[in-house]
Amino acid sequence: MPSHPRAFSLPEADPTAIGNVSTPPFAVLPDPSHLFATRAARLRAYAGVSPAADYLNFVAGLVEAQHAILPGLPEPERPDFETLERAAAYGMPPLDRARFTLDAAAETTLDRLFDAAAAVAMPEPAARALERVRAGTDRAAMVADVLSSSLPMESLAEHVFIAAGLQVHFARLAAGLDPRALVPVGDGLCPCCGGPPVASLIVEWPNAHGSRFCACGLCATLWHYVRIRCTSCGSTKGIGYQEVEGGPGTVKAETCDECRTYVKVMYQNKDTGIEPLADDVGSLGLDMMMQNGPYKRAAFNPFLIGY
Amino acid sequence: MNMELSRRAFLRTSGAGLAGTTLGAMGFGEAEAATAAYIKPFHLANTTETRNTCTYCSVACGIIIYSKGDLKKGEKAEIVHIEGDADHPTNRGTLCPKGAALRDIVHSAQRLQYPMLRKAGSDSFERISWDVALDKIARAMKDDRDANFIAKNADGTTVNRWLSTGFLAASATTNETAFATYKVVRSTGMLAFDNQARV
Repeated sequence: MPSHPRAFSLPEADPTAIGNVSTPPFAVLPDPSHLFATRAARLRAYAGVSPAADYLNFVAGLVEAQHAILPGLPEPERPDFETLERAAAYGMPPLDRARFTLDAAAETTLDRLFDAAAAVAMPEPAARALERVRAGTDRAAMVADVLSSSLPMESLAEHVFIAAGLQVHFARLAAGLDPRALVPVGDGLCPCCGGPPVASLIVEWPNAHGSRFCACGLCATLWHYVRIRCTSCGSTKGIGYQEVEGGPGTVKAETCDECRTYVKVMYQNKDTGIEPLADDVGSLGLDMMMQNGPYKRAAFNPFLIGY
Repeated sequence: MNMELSRRAFLRTSGAGLAGTTLGAMGFGEAEAATAAYIKPFHLANTTETRNTCTYCSVACGIIIYSKGDLKKGEKAEIVHIEGDADHPTNRGTLCPKGAALRDIVHSAQRLQYPMLRKAGSDSFERISWDVALDKIARAMKDDRDANFIAKNADGTTVNRWLSTGFLAASATTNETAFATYKVVRSTGMLAFDNQARV
């Protein structure tokens, strides 16, 4: 304790400090230990009430496999200090998708996921695709396609399994970063891996009351993003919301008249069970209804390609 | 190539007209069809979220106004909810009890929507036009100023004070409006004055 001749103490009752100042963090990193378990549980909940129950149960099974393979996976090769410094200095994501190479940890992650996925019940086309990715040909090319968010129709199913494996790997990579060292890398781009969001969340956290966070479709990082602003082009003009009439209003399509796209916004402050990727798949009906309109889907979700 | 196509092209197609979805490629065409059938009776509703400034006081908290119906699309919009704007640096999503009840004042049946006058001796208010109202206010101010303006104090120093009238201007105004209001009011000699320019 500092000793000062006139030091005295008063009861700390500053009347101006009656609450904490709400300062949302810039980024919240994923915690792989419960990310996939939470996601799978949410998918199962949707499957209980959805006409697409078969598909939701399949995705839930795959996500449960993502969770199951976590114990004992080798540590991924993290970016070195120099790379992190350079990325921060130039406003680039520390996990560089363009320079990503399949290291031993990534190969093991993919192998184990494909083995675990084989136990999930799935239709013939999906099972055949899984067999092809387990055989391991063209793996590097498919990884590059997934990381550039550009999937060829001819082998879409194979790429979905690759994407599921990369989700595990990138969530583990992102979890090892320092959130305080992350910097904004561009509108609608993940500050960890530079990817597009799967959806955005309005949250109710101790230090973020009603703030909005975008959720990465690959590494599951959440990053703070101003509300009523397009998550793909950054425009604040011509933003509208479309929701299913008579619904609970917890998942809406945020539309932008500037770039003519939409990304879903989810009100986790109204429904605390919302998990962005699971709720994106669960609200497939909204995407189908949006197909009749002028807006194109700009979110990235390997389980909902083509909408 | 525009941004949407360059950055958001997720499905490359080589064959002409070949297009599909993850569900289709995985063999879940039935789930897809069932969902398509399920949504048929439902409709989409346009809603908006609009940033604005609370009208109550000079703190000028940011608010988000939720409405059903989109004016941009030629629909009638109805305000259904108002909350603090979490992105606004002043209030960071919080609102005082008055601000939190903003929606009720918007829809209040007792809300003052146009100038009302209760004439001397009358027991009720009647609606008047803005022209009549502004003329009456200007007349009353001019009469009061002519009667009570203090040009010099007891020592003979010029002070140009008008102490018998006060002026309270709106909070949700721009800097320019606040500047103009300040200039107009102060130039009359009025001292009891407050508006957004204070903060």
